[in-house]
Amino acid sequence: MAKGILKNGATRVTPENMEEALQQAIEIEIATLPTYLSTYYSINRTPKQKPITAEFTKLFLDKGDSEQDAVTKAVEYSTKIMVFANKAGANIMSVVVEEMLHMSLASNVKQALFGNPELIGKSPAIWPAYLAGHDPQFPINRAKLSHDQLETFKLIESPKPFDKKVLGATALPYLTIGDFYKGIEDCINEFYCDKECYHGDRPQLIPDRGYYAQNNIDTLYYDKKHKPVFENAADAGGLVHVFDKDSALKALEIIVEQGEGATELCTKNSEYDDKSDHELAHYDKFFLLQKELGEINREFKDVFGDKMDVEKHFIYNFADNAVTTDYPATIQAVSTLTNAMYAYLFIMSQACYRADSHTQYEIFMFGIHKSMLWILSSLCGEMTGFNYIAPDGHSYTATATYEEYKFSSASSPKSQIIELFNKAVAAYDGIAYIKQRILDLPDVTQESFLGETKTSLMA
Amino acid sequence: MSNVRDKNAGNGCGSQPVTPQSDQKDIKTPLELHACMGLNACKGHDRFGTNNCAGTGYCATQQHVCHTLNNCAGQGGCGLFGDAAEQCKPGANDCAWQGSCATPIQAERFGTLGANKDKSVWLLARELFEQRMNKSRRNVGDSPYPAGPPQAWLMSLGSYDSCGSSGDKSCSFGFNSPAENTQELVERSKRDLADTVKACDCDKNDD
Repeated sequence: MAKGILKNGATRVTPENMEEALQQAIEIEIATLPTYLSTYYSINRTPKQKPITAEFTKLFLDKGDSEQDAVTKAVEYSTKIMVFANKAGANIMSVVVEEMLHMSLASNVKQALFGNPELIGKSPAIWPAYLAGHDPQFPINRAKLSHDQLETFKLIESPKPFDKKVLGATALPYLTIGDFYKGIEDCINEFYCDKECYHGDRPQLIPDRGYYAQNNIDTLYYDKKHKPVFENAADAGGLVHVFDKDSALKALEIIVEQGEGATELCTKNSEYDDKSDHELAHYDKFFLLQKELGEINREFKDVFGDKMDVEKHFIYNFADNAVTTDYPATIQAVSTLTNAMYAYLFIMSQACYRADSHTQYEIFMFGIHKSMLWILSSLCGEMTGFNYIAPDGHSYTATATYEEYKFSSASSPKSQIIELFNKAVAAYDGIAYIKQRILDLPDVTQESFLGETKTSLMA
Repeated sequence: MSNVRDKNAGNGCGSQPVTPQSDQKDIKTPLELHACMGLNACKGHDRFGTNNCAGTGYCATQQHVCHTLNNCAGQGGCGLFGDAAEQCKPGANDCAWQGSCATPIQAERFGTLGANKDKSVWLLARELFEQRMNKSRRNVGDSPYPAGPPQAWLMSLGSYDSCGSSGDKSCSFGFNSPAENTQELVERSKRDLADTVKACDCDKNDD
């Protein structure tokens, strides 16, 4: 085992630091979200094909092709962009939904063994960020889709020790996220076999309540003939109710297998994380996406010349690790609202671990789901409609920054979000359509001690 | 086998609506809130208040953008978002805000999870509706469009937006006919419908 497995420098997970290790696991999962989300929203999944085809047609005509050949080839190449852009988006979103699953699974294990999974205020405050306790450390940026960004994603999900050349590091002992979870699993096997250790009655995010769906319309893309292709398999694992050693190990096993690939379930193809061998593990998804991005860049340069920048057709030009204070006032207002909504997601998620069953359901379905799909997603999309000049003097497309928003204790987070919305919509009325969605959010306190309350959360 | 094709233009996605007539307007107060064309329980309960009997209505009497945004039971469109059990209940959700996806349900919509994955959402909704009506000893007429309202027809009535970031369900990059894709979806879904309903019962029991 490598040194420094825990933030405090401990090298082994023991009963003395098991609670801390599980909290660290939760924070590792939370730390991956802003980087994956930033890259996801840098992709225009559905660029307009017509102008791309027109541009390519002209280029082929300039090369001397007949009009018919030029149009035929232009459609062929614009379709490559249409399919790849959507596929890249589906690929990353399919990982995002599983990272959120992993956060919940790690939280379930901590809840059952020790209680109190802490989710609020755990997003990285400084970027580039570093995975808590990862050895060796490597920088993680909030950045647009690129070869380098996918290299970082591969490091996060790597099942193997890094090549030293990758980091330019000396012979440091290496630790993967899988090793980290292995340490927790070993500790469970050794010290937490007794069912009495587990409090399965504490609120957890459990299966069969509609909380988790392996696939949705955002995790699929369309092939050349516009047939849907699903990125995640239905049997790739879901929520687990943790109430004993076996269920705890099952929850942890799903995290590792989805991230780094199954090692026992799939003897034929260990890169798959599902029993039916349909879904690649995160590392392999990113590996193939990086390869495909390289291929499409090379192919377009071969066909159209070295000046061809195929990425400009579907990747927004985000600045690395943009911050809200970089933006002019209008964009700042929308960015601040977006950060507050992102922070509220974790307030609601933590509340799910303190709430009775029905309250938890209301918070999850009408708060978390709605926020992710119809508020946060809309705001992240709206942000890409802005351009600005950054402190470095270059022009960029604005992006959601996922900075930690600290709510005041003077009023509820929801009422503060409504205030932020009012300010943002006054600056930019293009977000007026999300007003009712915000008003419909459940009113969850930061403390979220909701167990006994009979006060309706819903407006 | 019924075709998705439009009655006039023969194009399931880009067709002109046969009816309503141009002077037909949305009714102000719907008599029944339901998710889509062909899913109304009574005469005069469609969007225009003109249908003759159960199951023949032209369009949804309520419209919402997507998952969890519906206000009443029975309004969930389904497909695209939601878990396997939820996606087995298009137009049949038990409670406000539980619907799995937007209404109206266009003919091109497919499920993304569970027994109805990559199969027509409207056909499953219609089947469940007919089962409910049958239990209530009610006769059900034909839906104006046998596989649900084509997206292009819905758009001709006003703005219509479906869920998700992966793009238009009725589309071509230049290598397919959207109508043929939808036709294939409908035929495959009809062929498998009995099995889908059976498998959905299992999913629901797991819930």
